[in-house]
Amino acid sequence: MNTNAHKDQHPVAELKRIDKIYGTRVKTQVLFDINMQINPGEFVAIVGASGSGKTTVLNILGLLDTPSNGEVLLNGKNAAQLDESARASLRRDYLGFIFQFHYLLPEFNVLENTLMPCMLRGPESMANNRERMIALLELVGMADRLRYRPNQLSGGQQQRVAIVRSLANDPLLILADEPTGNLDSKTGYAVFDLMQNLCEKTGKAFLMVTHDEGFAAQAHHQIHLVDGRIQ
Amino acid sequence: MFDWFAWKVAMRHLRYNVGQTLLTMGVVAISVTLIIFLGALIGGLQIRLLNTMTGAIPHVVIRQPERLPIALWNLPQDSEVIAPLYSGNAVKLEQQKRTIPDWIALLNRLEGTDKNIIAVSPVVDGSGFIARGAGRRAVTVNGVIPERHNQIVDLESDLVSGRFYGLNAGEVVMGFSLSADLGMQTGDKVRITSEEGITATYTLAGIYDTGYSAIDKDAVFITLRDAQSIFAVGHAITAMGLKLDQVLEADSLAERLTLQLPYESTSWMTENRTQLTGLRAQNQSSNMIIAFTIVAAGFGIASILITSVVNKIREIGILKAMGATQKQIIRIFTLEGTLMAFLGGLFGIAQGVGICLYLSQFEQIASETGRTTEVFPINLTPGLILGSLLIAIIVGFLASLYPAWQAARVNPIEVIRGL
Repeated sequence: MNTNAHKDQHPVAELKRIDKIYGTRVKTQVLFDINMQINPGEFVAIVGASGSGKTTVLNILGLLDTPSNGEVLLNGKNAAQLDESARASLRRDYLGFIFQFHYLLPEFNVLENTLMPCMLRGPESMANNRERMIALLELVGMADRLRYRPNQLSGGQQQRVAIVRSLANDPLLILADEPTGNLDSKTGYAVFDLMQNLCEKTGKAFLMVTHDEGFAAQAHHQIHLVDGRIQ
Repeated sequence: MFDWFAWKVAMRHLRYNVGQTLLTMGVVAISVTLIIFLGALIGGLQIRLLNTMTGAIPHVVIRQPERLPIALWNLPQDSEVIAPLYSGNAVKLEQQKRTIPDWIALLNRLEGTDKNIIAVSPVVDGSGFIARGAGRRAVTVNGVIPERHNQIVDLESDLVSGRFYGLNAGEVVMGFSLSADLGMQTGDKVRITSEEGITATYTLAGIYDTGYSAIDKDAVFITLRDAQSIFAVGHAITAMGLKLDQVLEADSLAERLTLQLPYESTSWMTENRTQLTGLRAQNQSSNMIIAFTIVAAGFGIASILITSVVNKIREIGILKAMGATQKQIIRIFTLEGTLMAFLGGLFGIAQGVGICLYLSQFEQIASETGRTTEVFPINLTPGLILGSLLIAIIVGFLASLYPAWQAARVNPIEVIRGL
């Protein structure tokens, strides 16, 4: 089974019959019966208009939010109703995040920022992943900026650092929420290409939320969300 | 438990945001300085005040209780009536000095009974007149064993001229005010007449300046034997003076001794109730000032840290998204608060100790013999210094709890979308 292509392996993440309802007195249902799965090495794009629920899907899959109903399977285990600290450890061990705003920590330099998820695990993890992070930073063309502070970098460079950071803990799945949304179109394409490139080279699964149909068209799979339902 | 990640992030925050770190440390440093300075000054003032009250007197005095007349019909049924009964108009009771005849036994018994008793001095005291030429003054005449009594009132170190130790029969020592009044110098002769009407001539052997007017102006010291003869008490003494290590425990000790001994023990505190109440009030108000200082410092630290949390809300959000637990976030901010308080506390100690050392070097001349006292009585103790540092650390920790809890509650979903 493991000799076959990644599509035959069990999915890294799976949503089963997910509903999400906000509010207790006035209830607003934003997701209806969402089912999806992401396999290793897959690049999946979620597209939809604003308010269609795509970020909510990403938050639930990223264990930042809990569904009202349904199962969130991460590496085969249901994580939907775990408590905050258990979800935090799962995020730390299995997930990488890229956001529209990079949110690099201004007190740390480029290399340290990319090692932040390892820092959460302790000094050994940081030492063990240091060379790998330097190699990845070289891969994204940041080799000569290792000691720079985030505020000394351009927006595109900061986002590239954030992408490398999302790979630090060797995650199963990288979740990207409008990673190009805050960049001009040229830089946006460069960052998107970089993510695709990394998906191929590292074999990680990527889930990207975007409203850019052009990017979505280049993903392995597209999921269209309309008013909280998959079309 | 040591959290490497929290330590690393906290240290980096502190180093990167130097302005904020220094501001917080400044708040703590000023508070600690104030605590040390106030604590040392008020402590010193209290010691000075206690010294003024107790320095020239024994802390507990043991005497024969006064014999009060008892009406015949109040005499206990089985009591032996010792005194002959008189009736008539010409009743005159002989004034009898109250004495302790078996004082050597008492001395032996008192020494080593209580750790709090650090000196015991037998005294024969009474009123008398001192006269030289036309000069005549009423004084308290104290017959003492100099080496013993010096442990109660340190005359030896306060000598301006002559000697106190080794005082011989026929010699007297007195304060500089009295000797100046009488125009006397060491070696001069003086006559002392006791209340018993016995007169003897003494040579002035020493002049002291203690700063206590009660003994500088109104008392003289002669040998125990000389006093026994001019007060006609035979081999007895009139009082046993005790010096205590813990002066504020004099009341309870006196109470205990009165129960244990056939004599009456009086504490210095009985005579100084008003001043003692003042001392307590002073103590309480200084504690209140210190308490308010601590609370103000706590609020200062908390508000600076709350601002810091608000400024860092996005970074906290991303750290949580990456898997930092609430505990780790709480540790980052409590570590920051505690560390800043610790470092600020060290600065505060340096500053407070510096101010205390600077002020304690000022001296003023306290009397015409040139004796000096410090202008600011400073009592700087290791306990005060370590205590204020400990308080700073605890306050820093407590003040950072609320901001840390706020940080831990940051919901990553709300901040990472730039809301």
